[in-house]
Amino acid sequence: MNEPTNPPGHIETPEDIDQHIEPHMVVETIPTKRRQIDLVKKFKEEKLFAFGVIIVFLSIFLAFFGPMISPYDPNFATGNVSVGPPNILDWPGLFIDTVFLGADPPHWFGTDNSGLDIFSRTISAPRTDLQIALIAALLSMAIGTTLGLLAGFFRHFLTEILMRISDLLQAFPVFITAMILVALSGRSTTNIVIALTIVYLPIFIRLTRAEVLGQMPRGYVEAARAVGNSEFKVAFKHVLPNSLVPSLIQLSTTVGFAILLTSGLSFVGAGVRPPTAEWGLMIALGAPQIILGEWWQSIFPGVAISLTIFGYAAVGHGLEEDYR
Amino acid sequence: MVAETNESMVAGSSSENILEVRDLSVRFPIVEGPDVFAVRDFNLAVKPGEFVGLMGEPGCGKSTAAMSFLGLVRPPGVIETGQINFAGDDILKMDEETVRQMRGRDIGMIVQNPRYSLHPMMRVGDQIANVYRAHNDVGKREAWEHAVSMLRMVGINDPERRVKAYAHELSSGMAQRVLIAIALSSQPKLLIADEPTSGLDVTIQAQFLDQMWDSCRQASSAVVLVTQDLGIVANYCDRVVIMHEGTIVEDADVYTFFESPQHEYSRRILQLQREAQEAGDAVLGKIDRTAPPILEVKDMSKLFPIRGSESKVHAVEHADFELRPGECLGLVGESGSGKTTIGRCVLRLVEPTQGEIVFQERNIAEIRPNEFRKFRGDLQIVFQDPLDSLNPRWTVHQVLSEPLKLHTNLSPEEKEQRISELLNLVGLEPSMRFALPREMSAGRQQRASIARAIASNPDFIVLDEPTSALTPETTAEIIQLLMDLSAKLGIAYLFISHDLTTVKYICHRVVVLYLGQIVEVGTKDQVFNQPRHPYSRALLSSHLFPDTANRRVDREVRETLEGEIPSPITENLPKGCYLYGRCPSQVDKCRDLPQELTKLDDGRSVRCWRVAEGDLPDEPAAH
Amino acid sequence: MVWRFIAKRVAIALLQLIGISLVVFFLIRGLDADPVARIVGLNATEEAVKQATESLGLHEHQLQQLGNYLGIFSSSGKPGIVQGTLGESWVTGSSILEEVTRFLPITLELITYALIIAFLLAMPLGMSSGTRPGGAADRFTFVWGLFAGSQPEFWWGLMFVFVFFFVFQQAGWPSAPAPLGRLNPFLTAPESITGFIMIDSLLRGRFDVWIDAGKHLMLPVFTLVFVVSGPIVKMVRQNMLRVLRSDYILYARSAGLPRQKVARYALRAALAPAMTLTAIIYGFLLGGAVPVELIYSLGGIGEYSIRSILNLDFPAIQGTVLVIAMVSLVIYLAIDILHAFLDPRIAF
Repeated sequence: MNEPTNPPGHIETPEDIDQHIEPHMVVETIPTKRRQIDLVKKFKEEKLFAFGVIIVFLSIFLAFFGPMISPYDPNFATGNVSVGPPNILDWPGLFIDTVFLGADPPHWFGTDNSGLDIFSRTISAPRTDLQIALIAALLSMAIGTTLGLLAGFFRHFLTEILMRISDLLQAFPVFITAMILVALSGRSTTNIVIALTIVYLPIFIRLTRAEVLGQMPRGYVEAARAVGNSEFKVAFKHVLPNSLVPSLIQLSTTVGFAILLTSGLSFVGAGVRPPTAEWGLMIALGAPQIILGEWWQSIFPGVAISLTIFGYAAVGHGLEEDYR
Repeated sequence: MVAETNESMVAGSSSENILEVRDLSVRFPIVEGPDVFAVRDFNLAVKPGEFVGLMGEPGCGKSTAAMSFLGLVRPPGVIETGQINFAGDDILKMDEETVRQMRGRDIGMIVQNPRYSLHPMMRVGDQIANVYRAHNDVGKREAWEHAVSMLRMVGINDPERRVKAYAHELSSGMAQRVLIAIALSSQPKLLIADEPTSGLDVTIQAQFLDQMWDSCRQASSAVVLVTQDLGIVANYCDRVVIMHEGTIVEDADVYTFFESPQHEYSRRILQLQREAQEAGDAVLGKIDRTAPPILEVKDMSKLFPIRGSESKVHAVEHADFELRPGECLGLVGESGSGKTTIGRCVLRLVEPTQGEIVFQERNIAEIRPNEFRKFRGDLQIVFQDPLDSLNPRWTVHQVLSEPLKLHTNLSPEEKEQRISELLNLVGLEPSMRFALPREMSAGRQQRASIARAIASNPDFIVLDEPTSALTPETTAEIIQLLMDLSAKLGIAYLFISHDLTTVKYICHRVVVLYLGQIVEVGTKDQVFNQPRHPYSRALLSSHLFPDTANRRVDREVRETLEGEIPSPITENLPKGCYLYGRCPSQVDKCRDLPQELTKLDDGRSVRCWRVAEGDLPDEPAAH
Repeated sequence: MVWRFIAKRVAIALLQLIGISLVVFFLIRGLDADPVARIVGLNATEEAVKQATESLGLHEHQLQQLGNYLGIFSSSGKPGIVQGTLGESWVTGSSILEEVTRFLPITLELITYALIIAFLLAMPLGMSSGTRPGGAADRFTFVWGLFAGSQPEFWWGLMFVFVFFFVFQQAGWPSAPAPLGRLNPFLTAPESITGFIMIDSLLRGRFDVWIDAGKHLMLPVFTLVFVVSGPIVKMVRQNMLRVLRSDYILYARSAGLPRQKVARYALRAALAPAMTLTAIIYGFLLGGAVPVELIYSLGGIGEYSIRSILNLDFPAIQGTVLVIAMVSLVIYLAIDILHAFLDPRIAF
């Protein structure tokens, strides 16, 4: 064959397959319990997605149990100041000593300037970071999808005003707005949640509205009316469930970004107050020590953030490919 | 004739064929699954100047095969094996530059989705010029002028302005003409046309195919016409090739094919057409014309306001018609004729601007929207696109439960029983009860949709192009089902369609619409055998009936209309007769004289003063 | 058509600016923060508090304060926004407009270089991976796009400092300069022309400054490129995949267009969305580059804004938000207009 222009590629998404493979190739499937099986299969076959799922579960687990299983109190100084982590080769031995021989647990990740155990703080931090990020993302989504549905479904001057407000909100510089909201209203967890919810609200409004507008001309909407549903029922029973997918995908990404923003705020000094165990704050406390060579204070919480956000992004991407 | 014999035929006559395809296979790799062969062991020969119709159900690989005649496959597909000999040389063995030069020069291509086949961000003129320059050593200016002249040649008004347009600014008909301009500009020896008229109206389709036929006969180009439409094949092709699951299963000349189809698939798709040919009122139930009408529409209009403008879209103007119990009334017309809007207005899915809708002796146009919801159980609708009209997250069971919940007081057990009964009525297997729409075939989806419509025991159903998204085969089944249901349950239908073949089969009476106005109403026989209004005549003449007895290309006069349908906006509408400017029988008086729907002696009504005064001869239809 | 579109966009942008200044004005006054206490201290006498309140103008009705800020019906007789000034800082007492114009170019220079480099890297990378899907390069680009799209840039910045400054220096290799500003303290910056130090130094013929500033900008720019190239690459790749399978590319090939022409058709369609995304990231980084500015002690607008916020310096907060919003709206506008010229469908 002399036509080298069509390299054998791979098909990425079901959508691609729909587009390029003609329908007779897709065998009519017998209806089964679908969703769960798909996800389990996906988990087994896609490494990146599996990685993401593990990260998501681990982060949620630590958010609940992190402070309970940490060897030291994350907020109580041990007296050992600026101790580096033990050599990685000694870790198995130390592990056996601790678990089976009842020795004092070592400072796996070292300690910081005030003698706080970095390992304990790193695994306790999800309680703060995840709590803020999950609640803020879920709140944003709940409020945003409802408002987006109303704005897309009902053409009314009130919904017009709503969209203009959302536009305005979106024109604000995200990071600075969050800093203002948190710093001026008091650097508490609740205030950070409120600030993040407001900052991420326009995305969900916009996404849902766009999806609703896309669904409105679909036949099933008209069919729902023709059957005799009220407008309210058409909106909430038929259109809403079919407009949630983009928001659900966005949710995972938003949780990632919310963790990033939470830690970023503490890093610049406008987030939670020290000595709360929080990744961004830990990095900030360790930052001045970096140029002195004390790398461990910042590196472990940083790796934790990096992996967590990547995990959420991978899950978001995996879902996006399937449900787009 | 089946594939093996076809192969031997190819081998015997190799020298005189312009295109010869042997053992072609096209593979699509799929991650996490076995590869799929869209085309396999495909053999075909085309003689110079021959018109070959390549038919098959959607997904049989016909488009992929047609594209591969150019040595191209849409990524990520690959041509796995085979030869594609063009004028004796295998294009799969040529170097890329040689093949490239042949594409567009020796082999022309016209595709479906003309608007998506033009680059969205470039001027149409530049794109034509680029193709011209790819095959001719000319400068930019000259190529641009060539583009203008090409557009003029294919009959586009004001080519100097249109040449600067972008794809989204053209209508599909116009975009398709741009593609034909590109394809024909080099007088190719072979033209591949992949469903070139899908989405075009019948009168435009006829114009387009006539033009293609004439130009190709003149240049003695061979044509491979990929289509699903038996009418097109019967009227334009010399030979028919049927494809099924990636390979050719039948290859016959057009007369033989329509007389004695061999393959099972061919026989099935021809069945409906045959019955339609022979259909008299015998197949249809008798209607009691003295019974009071179940639905009477009186002087109904719908104007849509245009945002930021004084003018309006005149979707429907002064519609008057009535329906008896158990009757099927056909509503035919091209896009922009307002047929869909009438269907929506009758059900008040769209609120009519004025007029009365008397349903079972009550004017339902006056009822308040919230109260009207209770009536919806009696007036139902089946939509065009079955997949689209079912909630994608709902199983058949959920879909059918909803009308029962809203309009009946059945107990949960009774509901389950009723659902089983409905499934049985529309011929759905009990196993489909918990299927999602996307897990069913289009035919089954439409059955589910019909089941939803009859769930609340309505007396009247609007059928809005219920078969136009279906294959010819499924169309036959669904039409049969609808007729059975009407006979069993006594439901009256308002059957909206642009496909005259199905209308001819199922309807008692027919309403012809043009630009929002009813131009002719009569019994099926009146309208089909002896249409009176010039538009009805042109519409019927342009409609390609799958009948080889009187092929359009053999006719001396091919009755058709000039130009395109104007969009029904206030300032676009003609002052007098709406057909003025396109009508073959027009006189000066028509320009300023608004037309009235006039009842003739034979019971039909026609909106044309010349017909009413007997100016125009009363002769049978041309088809 | 295009001109009407532009006029409409400009009008919307102006309305948004007005909206933003009003919202910020009332927001910071509505939140639970007491700038007076911050200035006079918690143990101040009532007299001192009263005096401070009056000197800041906070004793007046909020609408009057707004009037003073805008320069309409001003009670103090001082000029406001309408007269082209942003007022004076409560902390330093100097003109906010002056301070902002000093700090803004530092941030602009940082993110402009970063985005230009990221865009130039991402285009060929994304395009080549889109043309050859499934290859090793494509796998890498794909994972990269996903990974780098959301990473803690402040932490990566620290890691780069650790490796390229501390480790390299310890090893005796040529290392990056200490993250302590834009310039070696022994060099004096050339007098500002554009505010972009790399450009100013060239214009003034100060090549020593040019080289030193380049060294100091290297790591911060690299940090941002590292993070923002991700989403751009991802976007270009997806677009390319989509475009190459589009009907118009297939049709262009079937009409026998030469290979380069087809490539140009594809590039044209893939370019516009990537450009828009770059502009959006630019707008985000105007206020979002704060952590990177902090790590490298660059002293940009982000650092200025966080200082103002933590000091409860209301006029400075209002000023920075307004200026940042304005710059980003101008950028969006420019990109929209460019996009409308590239893709005529937008202007509808």
